[in-house]
Amino acid sequence: MEIVVCVKPVPEAETRLRPDAAGTALDPEGVKYVLAGYDESAVEQALLLRESIPGSRVHVVACGPAPRTEEVLRAALALGCDVATWVDVPAASADEPLSAARALASAISPHSPDLVLCGKQAGDNEAGVVPAALGELLGVPDLSYVLDVRWNAGASRFSLKRASEAGLESWTVPAPCVLGLQQAWNDPRTAKLPAILKSRKAPIARVTPPSAAADPASSPRRFELPPPRTGAKMIEYKTADEAATRLVRALREEAKVLP
Amino acid sequence: MTRTALVVGELSQGRLAGATHEAIGAAAIVSGSPAGVSVLLAGRSARTAAGELARSGVARVVVVEDPRFDAGPPAVLAVQAAATAARIGVGVVVVGGTTFGREIAGRVAARWDGAVATGVTEVAPEGESVRVRRPVFGGRATETRVLGGPRVVLAIRPHAFPTPASDGPTPPIEVVPAADLPAPLLGPIRTGVESAAAGAGPGLSDAAIVVSGGRGLRGPENFHLVEELAASLGAAVGASRAVTDAGWRPGSLQVGQTGKAVSPQLYIAVGISGAIQHLVGMVSSRVIVAINSDASAPIFRVADYGVVGDLFEIVPALTAEIRRVRAT
Ligand SMILES: Cc1cc2nc3c(=O)[nH]c(=O)nc-3n(C[C@H](O)[C@H](O)[C@H](O)COP(=O)(O)OP(=O)(O)OC[C@H]3O[C@@H](n4cnc5c(N)ncnc54)[C@H](O)[C@@H]3O)c2cc1C
Repeated sequence: MEIVVCVKPVPEAETRLRPDAAGTALDPEGVKYVLAGYDESAVEQALLLRESIPGSRVHVVACGPAPRTEEVLRAALALGCDVATWVDVPAASADEPLSAARALASAISPHSPDLVLCGKQAGDNEAGVVPAALGELLGVPDLSYVLDVRWNAGASRFSLKRASEAGLESWTVPAPCVLGLQQAWNDPRTAKLPAILKSRKAPIARVTPPSAAADPASSPRRFELPPPRTGAKMIEYKTADEAATRLVRALREEAKVLP
Repeated sequence: MTRTALVVGELSQGRLAGATHEAIGAAAIVSGSPAGVSVLLAGRSARTAAGELARSGVARVVVVEDPRFDAGPPAVLAVQAAATAARIGVGVVVVGGTTFGREIAGRVAARWDGAVATGVTEVAPEGESVRVRRPVFGGRATETRVLGGPRVVLAIRPHAFPTPASDGPTPPIEVVPAADLPAPLLGPIRTGVESAAAGAGPGLSDAAIVVSGGRGLRGPENFHLVEELAASLGAAVGASRAVTDAGWRPGSLQVGQTGKAVSPQLYIAVGISGAIQHLVGMVSSRVIVAINSDASAPIFRVADYGVVGDLFEIVPALTAEIRRVRAT
């Protein structure tokens, strides 16, 4: 089975967020970009499926600028992905989800994969558009908020769970398809040192998307940090009952979050 | 210039989802008034559900009575939405902030070639374009984007838009046949739903109020204090990773970097210290309350209201007070 897993380089969680000089986007200066969160779960799922389906291959694909995109591809190779493709696009295109989906689709479709896995959303802009857009662009079904994907060879279908407002849904989905993975349901493996060293020298195929994949009319205007919270208003009290009465009054009359 | 809008409705057990009413509210802002908004409802109960839009003042309700929309994945409704949007000639498609809505937004954007934004908390027409604000990085920052071009697709964030008043005219209902649904999209089949544990209240991600418990509860035997407070408020229950890692409660309740991100109207943190990995999952909540015995706990730095005290005394008193005011 040919499994493609799409990953996006995102700032590591501890990053101190700052707007750039124009105030329109995150200032990338000094930011460390990593393979993280949802995408780690997607890579782990791809590797688990490869282990359970003989003759499978995991192909990791990412779009974005150098050097961050190459770095996350190497991180995925170190975890055990077999081959890697870098779709070379500027950061602004990688950050606009429909452009990113188009760039990824142009690189993926020549390989006709049986399964495309993505994180359900990027860890930075949290758009969650790519899985469904990729499904449309590749002409296959998609499902997101997915976890625990298994292959049923007899039926030629994947069985999986989907976390929705209704609860935990069970689905079966025929191949080929695109799946967007939930986070934190599997325990993603960590790379071992020999694999990390080996991944540094592994070849990475570089492709550029056809320029026809024009960017949609979406432009960033402002990137802001929330005003610093002024600190909690502390409830003064002598007894627990008094604390409760004062807090409930504040929530009803001041904050107006309770009827 | 304002744009006419199409809201893609979501039916849940035959009724309009709350998220759809919020989407109509957002669409009316882009269109200038509900009269610029059409609503698409698809599925066996679409016609009945259309009745819930009586006096909503929207332009029309497009009804597609076809069972394939009940069983099928969101992609099927996305195809119908793109076809309906093209047929009526709207300038913006709006979907609710559910998992279902998000998936529809991505496919409609690619199929209908629209500029797309999800998780939108504010929207306004700006000249020929649509300006949106949306939280990013788990609510640690906000971006403003301007979406131009003739077609725009928006998925709104839960609880960000008011549901519109129902004092307008009752819209006409237009019953239309289903669009041409590509066969591969009908391939996925839902075989069952394990609903969030019986009596567990609303799902974490879409609850208006979340009450979360942390290690301060000392053990699983005390977690009922958090659950009772949640029940008194009709809230969903969440937990810190300390709680889920220890197996006091299942991982599905975990809020934070490696759990769920929530943005309710009210988030109450009980016995939670406020580690950065927990904060990224809840800082975008509108109002945050912290109950903690340690006045220097970092949770108080993001909270709006704080109670420094023993949760074993404060929480039962709070539950009793809420029950009391609810009863009166
Ligand atoms: C990679 C990574 C990912 C992580 N992801 C997450 C995540 O998604 N979600 C998450 O929550 N954590 C996550 N963590 C863990 C996080 O760092 C903290 O360890 C965790 O959030 C702590 O949980 P806690 O606040 O319940 O416990 P503690 O930090 O132990 O805090 C307990 C609090 O209870 C208070 N308390 C004690 N007794 C009482 C009492 N009687 N009355 C009132 N208050 C009392 C204490 O003062 C203390 O502040 C992650 C960590 C890492 C490294």
